[in-house]
Amino acid sequence: MEHYLILARSVTYAQRMQRALEKAGIRCQIFRAPRDLTDLGCAYVLRLAVADLPQALITIHRAALDPVQIFLYQKGTYREVAP
Amino acid sequence: MIYLDSAATTFQKPPAVAAAMQRALMTMSSPGRGGHPAAIRAAETAFACRSELAELFSISNPEQVVFTMNATHGLNIAIKSLVPPGGKAVVSGYEHNAVTRPLLALGARVSVASGPLFAPEEILAAFDRMVTPDTDAVICNHISNVFGFILPVEDIAAICRKRKVPLIVDASQSAGILPLDMTAMGAAFIAMPGHKGLYGPQGTGVLLCGEGISPHTLLEGGTGSLSIHQEMPDFLPDRLEAGTHNMPGIAGLLEGVRYVKQRGMDTICLRERQLTLLLAEGLRTIPGLRVYALPGLRQQAGVLSVVSETKDVEILGEELAERGIAVRAGIHCAPFAHRTAGTLETGTVRLSVSDFNTPAEIYQTLDVFHAILR
Repeated sequence: MEHYLILARSVTYAQRMQRALEKAGIRCQIFRAPRDLTDLGCAYVLRLAVADLPQALITIHRAALDPVQIFLYQKGTYREVAP
Repeated sequence: MIYLDSAATTFQKPPAVAAAMQRALMTMSSPGRGGHPAAIRAAETAFACRSELAELFSISNPEQVVFTMNATHGLNIAIKSLVPPGGKAVVSGYEHNAVTRPLLALGARVSVASGPLFAPEEILAAFDRMVTPDTDAVICNHISNVFGFILPVEDIAAICRKRKVPLIVDASQSAGILPLDMTAMGAAFIAMPGHKGLYGPQGTGVLLCGEGISPHTLLEGGTGSLSIHQEMPDFLPDRLEAGTHNMPGIAGLLEGVRYVKQRGMDTICLRERQLTLLLAEGLRTIPGLRVYALPGLRQQAGVLSVVSETKDVEILGEELAERGIAVRAGIHCAPFAHRTAGTLETGTVRLSVSDFNTPAEIYQTLDVFHAILR
């Protein structure tokens, strides 16, 4: 199923993003980042529905929580998209 | 046992603290170290604890809440981040060795803003004289661990802001008892134990880091982030939290903080002051016992020191222990405070209460003092 992954610099940062999104009514889950998505080593991502991305970006930007990278999962692969 | 040594560690904790610790042992691994349920549960608990603490101390970003082993650990990070070797620090005359020993290790030039007990105006005037723009850091405790003296940290913070000098507050005795607004104060760091007025377990502490501060690391190691890189992350809390977290401790601390918030710091402080006033007024009636408190317990929290003219403090402490009263005798790791107050030669017997003490315990303690010193 198509979804977006928002890469965070740490688990605490991901939790701050999750808190901000939940307050805005956007559901998301925290997972470990797939290894081939990042050259940072260990990292965490927020997974959210495709339809939620525009509002999610506005919400986290307002909260001064900028993602490291954003990826779209489509047809079995991840592709980096511009935030 | 009647426990009156809460300035060292609160012994009685809310029941939820031990329950949470046991739950953590059985269900949590380590935050930021996996995506499995045990790691996620740990991460959720750690984040909840950071968030509760951030709210309690008026910080908007929970990332600025760093878990430490104790207040000493936090103070070492704070001091070593701001004071270079041979640097200049101004401290109050009531500091603990957790402040003065790191400063000595750095070879810092230390000015002591001194003043008599329970005289905040004189202390403030001394800080005003001594803090200059070339001061690397001001370090001040909020409440003296020996005398319960409440220092005017908000006013000292205002002096620091005016002169653009970073302030480190040692909130070891005040966290959970007196309010501290980190943002309004503009403090660089506030260090505190988790195991005193926040009612968490021993082995927990918290360092609140001011916005934009880039602290030095005391420990380097795994953080569960940026693991490809050999440098420590430059962001909090990871920068200061190398190694596996004390999850049972953090889970217990979370419940302790929730207890404080539920009870209200005003309620806790009032209760502790009432108990201490009762103690001070009762002890004053014993001939030959010097009681370090002003009438009405002005400018003092729930910590009280006494000295007997006839009995060594350690012997008095031991005799009280034999009769079931747990107090602390000696120098309390704070020779600066004793030098300032003139009790360095004798030391003191310190009695310190928590929210769990009762008036009945205070009356019983007074009876025991009368029996020993009659």
